[in-house]
Amino acid sequence: MRNLITAAGAAALLLTAVPAKAWEPTKPVEIVVAAGAGGASDQMARMIQAAIQKHNLMKQPMVVSLKGGASGAEALIYMKSSQGDPNKVLIAYSLIYMLPLSAKIPFNWRELTPVSVIAMDQFVLWDNASGPKTVKDFIAAAKASSVPFKMGGTGSKREDNVLTVFMEKKTGAKFAYLPYKSGGEAATQLVGKHTESNVNNPSENLEVWRAGQVNALCVFDSERIDYKTKVTATQSWNDVPTCKEEGLDVQYLMLRAMFLPGKVTPEQTAFYVDLFKKVSQTPEYKEYMEKQALKPVWFEGKDMVEFLEQDDKLNTQLMTEAGFVAK
Amino acid sequence: MSLTDTEISVDDPTAPEADSPAVTNNRSVEIVVSLLLVGLAALLGYDNWRTGISWDSTGPQAGYFPFYLCVILGGASLYGIVAALRDRTTATETFVTRAQLRRVLQVFVPTLLFCLAMQFLGLYVASFLLTAGFMRIIGRIAWWKSLLTAFIFTAAMFVTFDIAFDVIMPKGPLEAAFGY
Amino acid sequence: MEAFGLLLHGFGVLLTGKTLLLMMVGLVLGIFVGVLPGLGGPNGVAILLPLTFTMDPTSAIVMLSCIYWGALFGGAITSILFNIPGEAWSVATTFDGYPMAQQGQAAQALTAAFTSSFIGSLCAVLLITFLAPMISSFALRFGPPEFFAVYLLTFCSFVGLGREAKHKTIISMALGLLLTGIGMDTISGQLRMTFGSTDLLRGINFLVAVIGLFGISEILLTMEERLALRGHAASISMRVVLGVWKDLPKYWVTLVRSSFIGCWLGITPGGAIAASFMGYNLAKRFSKDPDSFGKGRIEGVFAPETAAHASGTAALLPMLALGIPGSGTAAILLGGLMVWGLNPGPLLFVEHKDFVWGLIASMYLGNIVGLVLVLSTVPIFASILRVPFAAIAPMIVVSCAIGAYAIQNAMFDIWLMLLFGVVGYVFKKIGIPLAPFTLALVLGSRAEDAFRQSMIGSGGSMGVFWSNGLVGSITTLAIALLFWPLIDKAFGNVRRLWNPAVT
Repeated sequence: MRNLITAAGAAALLLTAVPAKAWEPTKPVEIVVAAGAGGASDQMARMIQAAIQKHNLMKQPMVVSLKGGASGAEALIYMKSSQGDPNKVLIAYSLIYMLPLSAKIPFNWRELTPVSVIAMDQFVLWDNASGPKTVKDFIAAAKASSVPFKMGGTGSKREDNVLTVFMEKKTGAKFAYLPYKSGGEAATQLVGKHTESNVNNPSENLEVWRAGQVNALCVFDSERIDYKTKVTATQSWNDVPTCKEEGLDVQYLMLRAMFLPGKVTPEQTAFYVDLFKKVSQTPEYKEYMEKQALKPVWFEGKDMVEFLEQDDKLNTQLMTEAGFVAK
Repeated sequence: MSLTDTEISVDDPTAPEADSPAVTNNRSVEIVVSLLLVGLAALLGYDNWRTGISWDSTGPQAGYFPFYLCVILGGASLYGIVAALRDRTTATETFVTRAQLRRVLQVFVPTLLFCLAMQFLGLYVASFLLTAGFMRIIGRIAWWKSLLTAFIFTAAMFVTFDIAFDVIMPKGPLEAAFGY
Repeated sequence: MEAFGLLLHGFGVLLTGKTLLLMMVGLVLGIFVGVLPGLGGPNGVAILLPLTFTMDPTSAIVMLSCIYWGALFGGAITSILFNIPGEAWSVATTFDGYPMAQQGQAAQALTAAFTSSFIGSLCAVLLITFLAPMISSFALRFGPPEFFAVYLLTFCSFVGLGREAKHKTIISMALGLLLTGIGMDTISGQLRMTFGSTDLLRGINFLVAVIGLFGISEILLTMEERLALRGHAASISMRVVLGVWKDLPKYWVTLVRSSFIGCWLGITPGGAIAASFMGYNLAKRFSKDPDSFGKGRIEGVFAPETAAHASGTAALLPMLALGIPGSGTAAILLGGLMVWGLNPGPLLFVEHKDFVWGLIASMYLGNIVGLVLVLSTVPIFASILRVPFAAIAPMIVVSCAIGAYAIQNAMFDIWLMLLFGVVGYVFKKIGIPLAPFTLALVLGSRAEDAFRQSMIGSGGSMGVFWSNGLVGSITTLAIALLFWPLIDKAFGNVRRLWNPAVT
């Protein structure tokens, strides 16, 4: 009897809920990750998946789908070819601007439907724990070295590589850039002293930093990271100086944004804007942002398009200056 | 003896006859395969040459390794042609007899059709058709048995992959009608 | 006892209801694919791999390795009851196993096979348990030049030591290396050999190729032959099992010898096939009564099975520690690891302790559970063979298609699988070995990346491959192995000159 009442209650709820929400996914939603498993995008996708599940934000399940082939180009092409399908969301980062430029991938983010920008990711200059402890010493050592310092990073002609080129331009030191398949690999190679430094995202070097195997020299942003909780025995993210403070005037932030395929209806987009807004208010999300030292931001609708246009211009300019645009 | 020992035996009424004439011999096939590989090597080699095959200050360019692999592949295939022409034994070795080829095509053609059907009907309908059709037409198993087996198999696959493990398979109009 | 503590932790990870359930499911599926004609270990694992994609890596590897153990057990069933070796390494088991079944001792033979598999695996797992911690301290010394040297060693040993015609091995390996280059080049970020196709952009997935090369082509080959079979059914009672176990101590020399051979050949990529034959031959050679072998002697089952399983298990060590698969199935597990984002190699032991020790613990548990399971379900699995091939063939085709599609959700891969099926069929018939091809597909791009990273680091100097003792000795060994046939001949000549009496 009791079951019957709850069932009736649920049915009533459902009836009242239906007209309120115009559209809802009817199939499992695929969250498309443009990188390999375990990378920053994958971790974020799994956090979102867990938050949605735990707080029951959507009726259909969410499935993480890894499409990191061809440095993430696979995911872009996949989204592009899924026009009109509202059951796929892409977790995008700066590759949406850079890949079409460096590898002539037939893709343009304007062909997708922007949902929201959910965070900005930082870049930090790291070196091995046995190396110089400040940016000045590091640059001096790099200049004095007879063979160029090795700089590890993810992929070729992408954000890590661009940062390396700009560091060279600003300091006059020479670096040999070693592209790895993932930030994790770049991190362990730094610990093993096979490279002198890398420019990983905070999340990628977090564990080795906590283990005291690397030094965080400076963060490539105009201001310090907000989080003041101690991460290592002595330092919090907030204790890491900005590169500008240390005399290395290079800044770069990378967006983390959600996109739907092209040609979806405004109601469908509205559903996801609402969904991710709710996700961004969950404790899981907040904890994740702090742990990975991500900068919380939120753009949707017109603001987002404006932001994307500007960000695109900036990235294109950096890529052109670095000489990474394919002819 | 504590075991219940019974024979299991399965017959194969449509087995290929042993004396069926050969369609072709190993030598001809080896030569054809080698020629195809030489062609592939030339095609890919050209593409890599365009990408850049030199050795610049930071090591080889993107096309360097694939280009020389094409050279090695082409060279080894050409050597294969010469070796096949000089070797007499392979000329008498049967590659496939007519009866064997018929049996192989009996599997290959339905597989091909299955792949084709999958593009339009989705995986599950195509697999139902393949299983039922193959059992009935090639295996000459009774209609009801074929249809039932195919249905149970397809349903089991659907439950395992799409429902239990969240592995999403291509769907066609039938699944769409049921809301999947 | 660092290893012991880590192992206990590993068991802690495993002992949950969900994991145990996955283990059982994996074992049953594994035995199933091991018994089915036209499937077998590597194919089975490749086809069932997508089931694990949505799991976390530890559950995934537990299930997958249980499929692997299951397939190993399943192979023994068909060898003994039907004289059909499910895998190449079960061939030696048929020598005495099938005669035993003919004499009505099928149950004893099966018990012997399963028990010795268990013993062999256990020895190898013990070895892995105690070697693994040493590997992780060694791990951080591996930079790009070291990685490249190890890959080079693997490739060279295939060309130098392979038994097939050299030019065919080279064709197979060059083709594999070439195909792995398709798609985006990590080092330069350029596209290669894609001809503007967005499907080729992703590159050719190793697992899709394997499913085609082994799964589809095996069905085509099976159809060529007469499919009639005749065998024995058997059910195993507790009394038989205990009877066989009671006799075990009598054969301890054989068991120890075979375990040792298996572990040794598993770690050096000699493989389970060589191990099983060597185990059998040595048992026969040292026996007081060599003539009784081949006529249904229980020792003839113990020897090859122990060796094959010790080697099959030990093969996982170089796979995890160096990223070099010691067997075909290990190569597929390697592919799986990469799909879950775990980079096999020395660093795996540093970065993913939970995973590695979970896997090692699952080897212990999986073998125990597998032994019990297989002893109690032999009759059911043996009866699978009664199902007509006309019903099994389409099901295998469908399973292959699901496996190939699910890896990247791409329809293009279905066509690729079909193409590789035809390629595999033709290659097998004209004697082009497939093992170097698959090896090249799985290691090729990693080898190239490592080489080019080394070149960037050293400013283009090849000297980097001899820059320290570790990398220098591996590189030198690799080159020696490549020219092994020539060196061997030269040595032979020198010896003859030295001592003309020896010819």
